[in-house]
Amino acid sequence: MALRLTLERDQSMKKILNRTEDYVLEMLEGLCSAHPAYFKRRGAEGRVLVRPEAPIAGKVGIVTGGGSGHLPVFTGYLGPGLLDACAVGEVFASPGVELMAEAIRAANGGAGVLRLYGNYGGDVMNFDMAGETVEFEDIRTTTVLVADDVASAGPAEREKRRGVAGMVYCFKIAGAKAATMASLEDVTAVAQKAADNCHTVGVALTPCTVPAAGRPTFTIGETEMEIGMGIHGEPGVRRGPLRTADEITGEMLKMLLADMPLKSGDRVSVLVNSLGATPLEELYICYRYVACELAAKGVDIIAPLIGRYATSMEMTGMSLTFCKLDTELEALLLAPCDCPFLRC
Amino acid sequence: MDGAASELNKLDGALGDGDLGVTLSQGFRHLQDDAPNLPDDVGMALLQCAQAFTRVTASTYGTLLATGMMAAAKATRGQNAVPWTEIPQLLGAALKSMSDRGKGQLGDKTVLDALNAVRLATEGLDEPAAQVKAAIQAVDQTMADFRGHPFRRGRARIFGDKGLELDDPGMVALKRIIQSLI
Repeated sequence: MALRLTLERDQSMKKILNRTEDYVLEMLEGLCSAHPAYFKRRGAEGRVLVRPEAPIAGKVGIVTGGGSGHLPVFTGYLGPGLLDACAVGEVFASPGVELMAEAIRAANGGAGVLRLYGNYGGDVMNFDMAGETVEFEDIRTTTVLVADDVASAGPAEREKRRGVAGMVYCFKIAGAKAATMASLEDVTAVAQKAADNCHTVGVALTPCTVPAAGRPTFTIGETEMEIGMGIHGEPGVRRGPLRTADEITGEMLKMLLADMPLKSGDRVSVLVNSLGATPLEELYICYRYVACELAAKGVDIIAPLIGRYATSMEMTGMSLTFCKLDTELEALLLAPCDCPFLRC
Repeated sequence: MDGAASELNKLDGALGDGDLGVTLSQGFRHLQDDAPNLPDDVGMALLQCAQAFTRVTASTYGTLLATGMMAAAKATRGQNAVPWTEIPQLLGAALKSMSDRGKGQLGDKTVLDALNAVRLATEGLDEPAAQVKAAIQAVDQTMADFRGHPFRRGRARIFGDKGLELDDPGMVALKRIIQSLI
């Protein structure tokens, strides 16, 4: 990373912020001030958020981490039935090894810690090293990577896929399992099963701007959309003219079903997620289409989620996630949980 | 390493993002600050050395160094003294973990090639001054061997033919690190 000079704020960046260097720290301050029952700050500059009750003795700790700019992901999901600690990076940047190690320590109740996060190279390298570091303190850790973005790699290379909105289901399901005081092996196994059963595809209409960069992450035509774009603006699979809601949703549905076919009697949870700027009204228009299509197939939708669950700041667009359920996953999905952004 | 910092930044700037010198300078300064208080357990001491680099702003080279040190730390945990003859083995462990982490291979024209040469050159030596001398020669030889070869990994790869005569900044950095041991 090159040394950055502190530049005058780019006036063309139409965001509500103070100094770009303070964006994340001020966000954390506000978040913790608004929800003191859910967040405590730890680590260098308070860039690790921790549940006030953590560590819970005998419970498997679950930690996550990643770049800022995706709220409620990652750090929003700390709470009962969910996660225990989160390492917070700069916008779209990985938090460092030390912050991740600190999160692991904060979550460690003596029963081991699961590292559950999105499949991004920097995060993987740093979280692996954090695990090696805490090994010296005799803290056992495991890893489950969420790799649900079907547009980023084909089925034969599933392990290369990026982690996107499916993370929310994995947080919920793993968190519920850990709350039953299950073992590290069992929590890890069910988290992996949830991750394997989540498939997501997104569509982007307009870009977002990383404060430190001062200009949009990509350019796209006034009447264009890009199917399969990643949550940091990574290139998708197809850019073309903006279509209708039903056409877009239909195309995305086809991509998901190609990856994970559904048959009559199957049960899925569906997440229609705004990438930030797309309003609830439009998400519901898309959900209506999905509900219709799945009903026609004889597939039951359980506990759908519609809203802002995994964003990219002010990106316009949405992502569609299917989480295929079996008896175990469904029970965990419906178990109680509590955080400022999700309550069951 | 402070003296080498601007040289390394310039070399790295020509081929990458120019932060190599700063990374190493900061990392080794942390190490220097920590040195008087390192624990007797060699493994734990090496762990702290690794952490001196994980504390520095995210950079691939810094992370690789930390990874290598962590592997050596694991291998020496619980020992208060390690014979000099073990250096090649520890370098081998470091090399393997750095290759796994960074996905680099021998032949890519990276620090891994130089480190492998150092490992081989220090075999059978049991005295630090001789090991350092052999190590410096090994790194020089590796750099000479790779002149005329393309970079096969990292950002430098995009330079194609222009990179043939340039030395890998990571190898130069390794040489400066070893030289500072004298």
